[in-house]
Amino acid sequence: MLLRLPAPHRAGRLAAGLTLTGLLASLWLTWLLPGAPVHLRHEWVTLPGMKVAVSFQLDRLAVLMLLLVHGVALLVQVYSISYLRDERRLSRYFAYLQLFVGAMLGIILAGNLIILYAFWELVGLASYLLIGFWYERPAAALAAQKAFLMNRVGDAAFLFGIIYTYHLLGTTELAALGMAVPAGGMPTVVGLCLFMGCVAKSAQFPLLTWLPDAMEGPTPVSALLHAATMVAAGIFLLARIHPVFSPDALLAIVVIGTVTALWGGYSALFQSDIKKVLAFSTVSQLGLMVAAMGTGNVSGAMFHLLTHAFFKAGLFLSAGAVLHAVHTQDMQQMGGLRKALPITFWAYTICAAALAGLPFFSGFLSKEAILAGAFGWAAGPPTNLAYCIPLLLLLSSGLTALYMARQWRLIFFGNYRNEGVAYRHLHEPDALMRVPVLLLAGLSVAFWFSLNPLSAHNSWFFYWLSAKEPAAPWWLAVVSVALVLLGGWLGFRLVEPRPEKVWVRASVAYGFLDEFYQRSIINPVRFVSTLLYRTDRQVIDGVVDGTGMGSVVLAHIMHWVDRWFVDGLVNGSVWLTGRLGRLARSVQNGRVQSYIATAVAGLLLFLWWLL
Amino acid sequence: MNIPILTLLIFVPLAGALLVTALPADRPERFRWVALVVAVAEVLLSLMAYTAFDGQLADYQLLEQADWITLPLGNFGIASIDYLVGVDGISLPLVLLSAVVLLAGVVSSWSIRHREKAYFSLYLLLTGTVMGCFMALDFFLFFLFFEFMLLPMYFLIGLWGGLRREYASIKFFLYTLLGSLLILLVMIALYMSVMDPVSTAVASGMVADPAAVTSDIIRLVQLRLANFQLSSAEIVHTFDLRYMADGSNYLPSSFLSLSGETILLGLPTRMLAFWAVFIGFAIKLPIVPLHTWLPDAHVEAPTPVSVVLAGVLLKIGGYGFLRIAWGLFPDGGAEFARPLAVLGVLSILYGGLNALAQADVKKLIAYSSVSHMGFVLLGIASLTSEGINGAIYQMVSHGVLSAMLFLIAGVIYDRTHDRRIDSYRGLIAPMPQYATLTAIAFFGSLGLPGFSGFVGELFTLMGSLQSFWLPGWMTAVATLGIVLAAAYFLWTLQRMFFGPYWSRHEATHSLSDLTNRERWLLIPLGVLALLMGLFPNLIFNLTNASVARWLEKFVVG
Repeated sequence: MLLRLPAPHRAGRLAAGLTLTGLLASLWLTWLLPGAPVHLRHEWVTLPGMKVAVSFQLDRLAVLMLLLVHGVALLVQVYSISYLRDERRLSRYFAYLQLFVGAMLGIILAGNLIILYAFWELVGLASYLLIGFWYERPAAALAAQKAFLMNRVGDAAFLFGIIYTYHLLGTTELAALGMAVPAGGMPTVVGLCLFMGCVAKSAQFPLLTWLPDAMEGPTPVSALLHAATMVAAGIFLLARIHPVFSPDALLAIVVIGTVTALWGGYSALFQSDIKKVLAFSTVSQLGLMVAAMGTGNVSGAMFHLLTHAFFKAGLFLSAGAVLHAVHTQDMQQMGGLRKALPITFWAYTICAAALAGLPFFSGFLSKEAILAGAFGWAAGPPTNLAYCIPLLLLLSSGLTALYMARQWRLIFFGNYRNEGVAYRHLHEPDALMRVPVLLLAGLSVAFWFSLNPLSAHNSWFFYWLSAKEPAAPWWLAVVSVALVLLGGWLGFRLVEPRPEKVWVRASVAYGFLDEFYQRSIINPVRFVSTLLYRTDRQVIDGVVDGTGMGSVVLAHIMHWVDRWFVDGLVNGSVWLTGRLGRLARSVQNGRVQSYIATAVAGLLLFLWWLL
Repeated sequence: MNIPILTLLIFVPLAGALLVTALPADRPERFRWVALVVAVAEVLLSLMAYTAFDGQLADYQLLEQADWITLPLGNFGIASIDYLVGVDGISLPLVLLSAVVLLAGVVSSWSIRHREKAYFSLYLLLTGTVMGCFMALDFFLFFLFFEFMLLPMYFLIGLWGGLRREYASIKFFLYTLLGSLLILLVMIALYMSVMDPVSTAVASGMVADPAAVTSDIIRLVQLRLANFQLSSAEIVHTFDLRYMADGSNYLPSSFLSLSGETILLGLPTRMLAFWAVFIGFAIKLPIVPLHTWLPDAHVEAPTPVSVVLAGVLLKIGGYGFLRIAWGLFPDGGAEFARPLAVLGVLSILYGGLNALAQADVKKLIAYSSVSHMGFVLLGIASLTSEGINGAIYQMVSHGVLSAMLFLIAGVIYDRTHDRRIDSYRGLIAPMPQYATLTAIAFFGSLGLPGFSGFVGELFTLMGSLQSFWLPGWMTAVATLGIVLAAAYFLWTLQRMFFGPYWSRHEATHSLSDLTNRERWLLIPLGVLALLMGLFPNLIFNLTNASVARWLEKFVVG
């Protein structure tokens, strides 16, 4: 019903109109939604003993995501109309964007893991096309390829997990999954395979390096796909299939999430590209959500997904406004922009405050929900080691404040350092770009999510999902706010370290993960493939050609033997016969005397024998 | 309405071939039109077969039978070879595929400008024999078509091919000939070991008329055969694949009897025979390490011949597995499920890794075929409903997609006579439509959901994990194949089509976008792949019942 096909070669207005229709339809659906999930099934494949249905499922979680995706997509499309005004292939851009929205809605509404996987891959395709939108730039083409391939690695495991689920339970219907899964979840390996889908799509450790590269795409794309919605699909997946995870699998998820949160946070510290800082902060925040999922805090993770979508999209679109003005992504060439771009400055500040988790902003509420859940979870396991997790998550939210404050300072404070564009030429974007940014900044305020700006306890969000916000210890808010302020102060005062330092390079090169992949995976695979091809040519074909040559040589030998021995024998016997014949013929020479002589000789011999 | 559809499918192209030879050589466009009319007729006929076919039934349908050779051999019984054709859910999808791909091949052959008369008569001969191969239900007839297919293919590569065409065509010929030799040996052994219960009932005087033979009588004949109550002069031997597929028709203590007491070279003869036909068809499919003829043949063959080779001829290997190797020797298929699946997984990975190393687009596609055909073997070896249906589906899907891929390679070759990947960059700028269709074919082949490639891989993988015979790690390893496929296709896309435009032949050749003919070849194939991917039941509804019947032989006791 809400699956719309891409509308190629139409202007952005049409696309935005479609999305607006979708948004209104989703609102209407929210109004109509009955208590029980709605299902829609259509037969897709029927084999003896198996059925795969194209099935869709609409429940409260899905409605929430529908509103989110439509809302952000609409703002991004409106923004794009102005931002990409001079783009030649604009209709193609909007078609890809529609493809993405359609595929994303497919993921949200899918009622079956196989159908979900299909849309999952289509979202990957949309991401590929949009990252590589400026394909003339080799970096963009490479980034698109990297994103698709890394996602393929995760997706292969995800697919295997789905097949395994089908093998064990005989169904991949999400609705049936909850009932069919035995208590304690499915075997850990299945859970981990399914989780791999999320690892790739949500840029978790170790498959996170595609996301910073994906910033090669147009900035609105980064806002929609690579910050607000697509990368959150992994989190949504975890929420959808949460019952399948065994305790061990959940533990692995917690650990991966925590590692990612720290890894992303540290990598964001010393980037000089404005978008890469934001990309790594996305990585870090997604890690936080994944860790929350691992602690069993599904609603907390979804809450953060929702708040993050708004403030991160807001940050990206504001960053777009900055790029629009200064024509560079390098923060070292910005500075002092708060006077030139006051509106962008305030929008950026609000969104950054939400991201950092300052009170009165949405991020504060959702981070508290996650941290509270993590502390509650850590009380469960018998070992105190479990407290490492919430403490590390706390640390990562301190890191967030640190790198955001640094970025804020580099862009908006200090002296203007760009020589390419004169300061007085800097200007705010037009209304089409300004309105979405301001709306998103507005949505980053705590008020929209909870009337009490310091606690999400009575938030509509948890009512809607019929979940309870985990209870937080009283000191948590104080400590985290203190950490955020400390991080922010450090970040703002930070003197830029020299870039040669190993710990700076480690941050900029995100822990040397890409070099590691190049050395340990890409190069060996290419080496092996070349080696195998040589094997193919030389060993296997060697045998084949050798056999062929051998047969030819053998044929020549046979020919020689034929000629000299067999033929020799034949010729020899011919010669012998001829000789004998001549001998015999010489006897029969027609002379009577010799006949008589022969006869007499014969007679004499005969007599001699008798006597 | 009693149109002999299947016979027409075989003999219309053969008649066309004769017609082409009979026409004077001075107006080559006539040959093209004859070939086109025949190919269109083939598509229509195959669609008629499709509508006449009832997917609910597992039996062979549209049967046509005629006595061909009957020869009493005294103590060796009676030899009988029939003209017997029919289709079931296993062969019909392949017949449909062949008709479509062969039509695409004819349209693509339009650009052949050299000895057209010989070319088109050979092409039509190939068409007829391919159709015969998929529909013959008499082993002898099958073998005849199988061998006759080689002949036109050999000349098509050897006369119209590239620089090393002679090497390639001889390699192709010898490889396949070795395969047919093995198949021939087994065919003879099978013939000696199998009786025709209907004719035997008549010959032994149990009934007077073949029409009066009921299933009870057949059971009685089989019982008497098992108890040595039939004299050898009464036994009518047969090449009928239907009888060969029924274990009760095997002569006790014959060469291939089911008890398996005959030992040759230390192995039961049935197992040997299984491996012999397996190798025979594995060469065709091809399966690593019997695949090296394929890249050479593809690189040297002209575009339409590559299209037919990849789109149709390879599938005869998979069809032979189902109909003959596994179909007649289910014991072998079950006994060796693991090593066979290992060969399938090996092909998937080996083909994929080799594809990564290629510098020539056509070779890359050839190795990707090896990889994709590995899924077919894996699916068949799994002996599950998902696996077998998936394998047939994968064959049809690969037929369409590989035809598209080779046509795509042909487009660039037609322009510059250079297919090396590193000769081009940023082709999307001068050839946007070409780039779009290439991307569609590549994404379809790398298993993007929505296109047919995904369904084939999904179901063969599902089958292999469901399989009673195979361990789970095989599926896990095989899944890596889809990562490799993404890697080699996307890498090619990135290297050839993206970035700033550059071509090694910029000075000499202008690169124009697709012509109308090329567009009309590529778009329908892409649409077909999409349709099958969105509605897989189009294929599965045909294959389902027959595959279920086929699998009855493999019930786990």
